[in-house]
Amino acid sequence: MAIRIQRVPSAQPAVALTARALAILLALLTAGLVLAATGADPIRLASRVLSSTFGSSFGLEDVGLLLTPLILTGLSVAVAQKIGAWNIGAEGQFYAGAFAATGVALFIPGPTILMLPLMFLAGALGGLVWILVPTLARAYADVSELITTLLLNFVATLLVYWMATGPWLDPSGHALATTARLPHDVPEFWGIVHWGLPVAVIMSVLVAALFSFTRWGYEVRIAGSNPQAARYAGMPFRGRLIVVMLLSGAIAGVAGMLEVAGTVHRLQGGISNNFGYLGIMVAVLARGSALGVIAGAALMAVILNSGIVLQTQGITVSTVLAITGLILFYTAIGDELAHYRIARTEAAGA
Amino acid sequence: MQTDAMPQQRYEIAPGTPPIVQLRGIAKYFPGVVANQDVDLDVMPGEIHALLGENGAGKSTLMNILTGIYQPDAGEIIIDGYSRVFSSPVEAIAAGIGMVHQHFKLVKAFTVAENIHLGWSETPKRISSAALEARTAALASALNLAVRPAARISDLSTGEQQRVEILRVLTRNARVLVLDEPTAVLTPAEARELFRALKEFVARGNAVIFISHKLDEVLEISDRITVLRGGRKVETIAAAGCTEKELAKLMVGREIVLSDMRKRGPNAAPVSPQPVLQLEKVSARGDLGNLLLEDVSLGVHAGEILGVAGVAGNGQKELSQVITGMRAAASGRIIVGGKDFSAASAADFAAFGVGHIPEDRLHSGLAPALSITDNSVIREYDKPPVSSGPFYRPRAAAALARTIAEAASVAVPDFGMPVRNLSGGNQQRLVARREMRIASKVLIAAYPSRGLDVGAINTMMRYLVELRDAGVGVLFISEELEELLNLSDRIAVMFHGKVMGVVDTARTDIEEIGLMMGGQRHGAARVEA
Repeated sequence: MAIRIQRVPSAQPAVALTARALAILLALLTAGLVLAATGADPIRLASRVLSSTFGSSFGLEDVGLLLTPLILTGLSVAVAQKIGAWNIGAEGQFYAGAFAATGVALFIPGPTILMLPLMFLAGALGGLVWILVPTLARAYADVSELITTLLLNFVATLLVYWMATGPWLDPSGHALATTARLPHDVPEFWGIVHWGLPVAVIMSVLVAALFSFTRWGYEVRIAGSNPQAARYAGMPFRGRLIVVMLLSGAIAGVAGMLEVAGTVHRLQGGISNNFGYLGIMVAVLARGSALGVIAGAALMAVILNSGIVLQTQGITVSTVLAITGLILFYTAIGDELAHYRIARTEAAGA
Repeated sequence: MQTDAMPQQRYEIAPGTPPIVQLRGIAKYFPGVVANQDVDLDVMPGEIHALLGENGAGKSTLMNILTGIYQPDAGEIIIDGYSRVFSSPVEAIAAGIGMVHQHFKLVKAFTVAENIHLGWSETPKRISSAALEARTAALASALNLAVRPAARISDLSTGEQQRVEILRVLTRNARVLVLDEPTAVLTPAEARELFRALKEFVARGNAVIFISHKLDEVLEISDRITVLRGGRKVETIAAAGCTEKELAKLMVGREIVLSDMRKRGPNAAPVSPQPVLQLEKVSARGDLGNLLLEDVSLGVHAGEILGVAGVAGNGQKELSQVITGMRAAASGRIIVGGKDFSAASAADFAAFGVGHIPEDRLHSGLAPALSITDNSVIREYDKPPVSSGPFYRPRAAAALARTIAEAASVAVPDFGMPVRNLSGGNQQRLVARREMRIASKVLIAAYPSRGLDVGAINTMMRYLVELRDAGVGVLFISEELEELLNLSDRIAVMFHGKVMGVVDTARTDIEEIGLMMGGQRHGAARVEA
């Protein structure tokens, strides 16, 4: 008898879930050990984090505020993944959406009830325009969208910095590096949490339905899973790729619009708070599922909020980033290990 | 194509020298499949030994056992007279056995020198790239294989990449070189270059095991030939004095049992006078732009099975793609149901009623990571009941998937599970049944029995007969001559992208087809180069 480790093609759901939970636990444990080594008291920090996140409605509201952009950027990345594309540019599309929505809000007069939908559309359009060139380059010249979407992030970031400190700088002189306060706010429905959150959740549900319950969604799933099979079945791969990538960009643009109109109220450099990059982690945690994005974003929002609490306790931002990285790292290992099982086999050979 | 440049000196074996490789009673079983059973093989120093057999005959499995990738379920590996057990390829390489796979295992972004030295214990710990390249050049000239040490792999032709792969194996002091269908990716000139290098290699007392299913090159290059069939050894014969005809006979088996599948029942549809699908001087290019289909003219009539014989890689794949809209024809006309389909898309062909069982089902006929349901409805997702308007109905899709799985007698525990979890045979049956549903006019079946066991093959053949009797035109591509003779009304033989001739099955035999498979035109006495 010999013991062999075998790989199974798809992991059992229970095993996968256990692996996930263990991964997150191990990541937190590792982080705790490192913090303890630097002289901090991890138990005290953990209880502090838990009480300030879940112990008060303020903590939960903060989480809710972080949740909105994370759901949408996560959804943006997950949507692109459906057709096998990696949108690393949700960050840039977020900026472009925030920028376009701000322009509409600042320079077009109108009642809020009309202006908010208009800003929503502007945000979506901004994100769409920002992914347009990478999309066409991928569709017609097979240029890797991984690189093009990533590089455009820097362009968008600097563009917004420049606009917010230059042409669009608050004329009243009250703010140093932001635009004037937007005249239209996304209304709040619970404490400081605005209606962007339900909008984001509804969008996730709609996108999930789009992929599960439409012919178009079916074609995208086939094409994303195996372009050869799509060609075999006579499905138009290029057309689907273009629409899906543009949709991905538009969703990230909406995230930017909701952030500027619901949470920050002024366009400023650094407004994205890395939400675009965190969206990649959310999508990976969600394994590309549009509904799973909500759960992935919730986990990420709690981690981010914990990070803010930790910072008040003297833990640096990089430590917090390292903890999120650890979680993703361990999760990836856990997901892979969930595919293995240990089996006893007869010894081979003569 | 004997060339004078081939080194003629032979390696002299001292009396009593044991075979360099000896396999005794090797068996390997996979779930539901006997890959190898009772296989014996002796390879002497200085010998090029060909391993000949159809696809699925067990050639690659046997070599994977010899090179430590698989462990045999029974049998013994004897190297230089000593019994050995290889639990990994590393141990096999240490014993001097190296393999060059069909798909190269090189790092494309690295240079030749870097690839040669990658993962090698003799690579110096600290070395400049210039020194690395000098080392590579020295090794290459010592082994008489011309490579460009500083070139990146991605810039090399396939032939050059193969040479790097061979050099990589030889630098590890391999004495036995196993090559898995090495010429499949080479041009004729590159193949000649390779043969010269192999002859030189064995002249130094080494051995080559050469896996192939091409009769002509096996006769040209090897000293002895072992023929495998259905996982068992048929015979080992000397190449000298052997003919392609004999080899073809050995490959497909001496006894060809002609069953009555060509006979039609009283209710069978008659063969239509006009072809339902017709190709007129159709040419097509491969993915690399080379002409792989040349001036092919064929007609498939409704109610008949037209077999396509030929060694794999002689244009059959391109043929099946051209007549299903997956590949554009470079020239010529394709007429389907009286209409010009030369520029039609895959969707147009499917809509007309052309079903297609593709050659590599997992890569082009299925989306492996998606569910069995998703994969079952790929041909009917845009029609009711699976779709209504723009909507896709998962429940209706699941119901259709169940119907198809039942018809294919595939037991599916969970229709939501990825289709790649099904066995190869079940995938094949599922695809076949799925395609039969839409094949109201024509079915293109490329190697439908590949990877199936005998019982499943019979079922598959019955499927095709069923369609024929229902008045569907079937184009049946296969390498198994026995199958083709049992089933087809007529047989077209392909060689190097051309049709060598179309013969009436009732008035032909395996020898005539074998000669055409080797490049002889129907009715011609002359062998084409």
